[in-house]
Amino acid sequence: MIASVFKVATRVRRSVAATAVAAALLGGCAVNDTGASEVWDPIETPNRFIFAINRTVDVMAIRPLAVTYRDWVPEKAQKSVRNLLDNLGEPVTAINEVFQGDPSRAGTTMARFLVNSTLGLAGLFDVAAMFGMERTKTDAGQTIGIWAGKGVEPENGGFYLVLPLAGPSNARDATGLMIDYAIDPFQILPIAFNWDWWYYSLPRAGLNAIDYRSRTMFALDDIEKNSVDYYAALRSAYTQNRAELIRAKRDKTDTKGELGRRDNLALVR
Amino acid sequence: MPLLACRRLAFRLAVGAAVAFAAAPALANDPAAELVSTTAAQAIDIIKTTTGAQRQAAIQQVLQTKFDLPYMAQTALGTHWAKATPEQQARFVKATETAEAKAYSERFGQYSGQTLAIGKTTSRPNGVFIVDSRLNQTNGQPIKLEWEVRQVPAGLRITDVKIEGVSMVITRRSDFNSYIQQNGGKVQPLIDELESRAAR
Repeated sequence: MIASVFKVATRVRRSVAATAVAAALLGGCAVNDTGASEVWDPIETPNRFIFAINRTVDVMAIRPLAVTYRDWVPEKAQKSVRNLLDNLGEPVTAINEVFQGDPSRAGTTMARFLVNSTLGLAGLFDVAAMFGMERTKTDAGQTIGIWAGKGVEPENGGFYLVLPLAGPSNARDATGLMIDYAIDPFQILPIAFNWDWWYYSLPRAGLNAIDYRSRTMFALDDIEKNSVDYYAALRSAYTQNRAELIRAKRDKTDTKGELGRRDNLALVR
Repeated sequence: MPLLACRRLAFRLAVGAAVAFAAAPALANDPAAELVSTTAAQAIDIIKTTTGAQRQAAIQQVLQTKFDLPYMAQTALGTHWAKATPEQQARFVKATETAEAKAYSERFGQYSGQTLAIGKTTSRPNGVFIVDSRLNQTNGQPIKLEWEVRQVPAGLRITDVKIEGVSMVITRRSDFNSYIQQNGGKVQPLIDELESRAAR
């Protein structure tokens, strides 16, 4: 037991160190950021290499599995799997919502978690939504983006990074991913209580991957088919989508930031 | 994998870009929103009545009359536009137009009764209107669509569509720019590639 507490502590410490490094990198690229320029990608060559490997794994294994899952598993079962996975993610969302300065929303998320974990049979059914508590989803990457300050455009997430298996990311979001992993009770519990990896962590990760891949099928196929450089198109789409999520939270009413960015685009035309 | 969930709907059903039903009321005195809703209605009509090459031709016609394609192409080419010869520019505009029409008619194959609810229009100082809208799906979360509308001599034209924050024009721009960089900074290889794809 003590050993496992140490394990968790070490993991948290490592994440904190990584955060500090990432924060320094983020700070370093905030100069002259118009938001209209290309995504900052200083390690494009290794990124493209990982991207190529990811694509191979995807074509050979993940995509076929996801297609089978999408077309052969009953829609209701798919919905329940998604609910279950989403429910496991609620505590992380709630913690992030607190740090994003929205404790009341965090309260709703926790209420959702409690209702769905009990009445919703361990999260298989989204009962809370029927009670009018809609699901929200956020992560530590967005929390960092919100706290980065007005000077940093949300398009600027530090250097672009392609993660093995997980795909498009950047310094900000990869750091967020580590933080989320470290604060997730459903990642800490298995370590603390030595849950069998085969029966918990692996199925969760596997289902997550298949579920996620099946939902992004249409979008990714579309980008791939309609681009001359899939890597670059996806890099741009990912960055814009993340920025949109952060911007929506950062200035709920103020559209000035977006305005300025689009006007800058006209300048470089 | 919480990080992954983020781009989950980006580009999903770009169908939504034009497949749509219009929320007809509350559109009076708002020509930009009206443009978006009539375009959407036209697209739906095309999907219901045509298929194959006929559909692609009809879609292309809608793109030509409702979208400002030369402007979009110019934006997508970015700084390389000025370096291209007029002949290259014309060929580029033509090639992107065919590519768009093809892409849209393929996306529409997936149409399954989505409806478009048009929201508020924001007017910006540089003469651009942003029309907010939401594509409601039969199952799953609604998709956020924003339309950029601009006044040109011939009237109002759509100049960009943003799906869940992902701009079609900016994505194309990154895509094209990267391709040009990899081909010695020249525009010609890109034009050749686009033309060969259009012919396929």
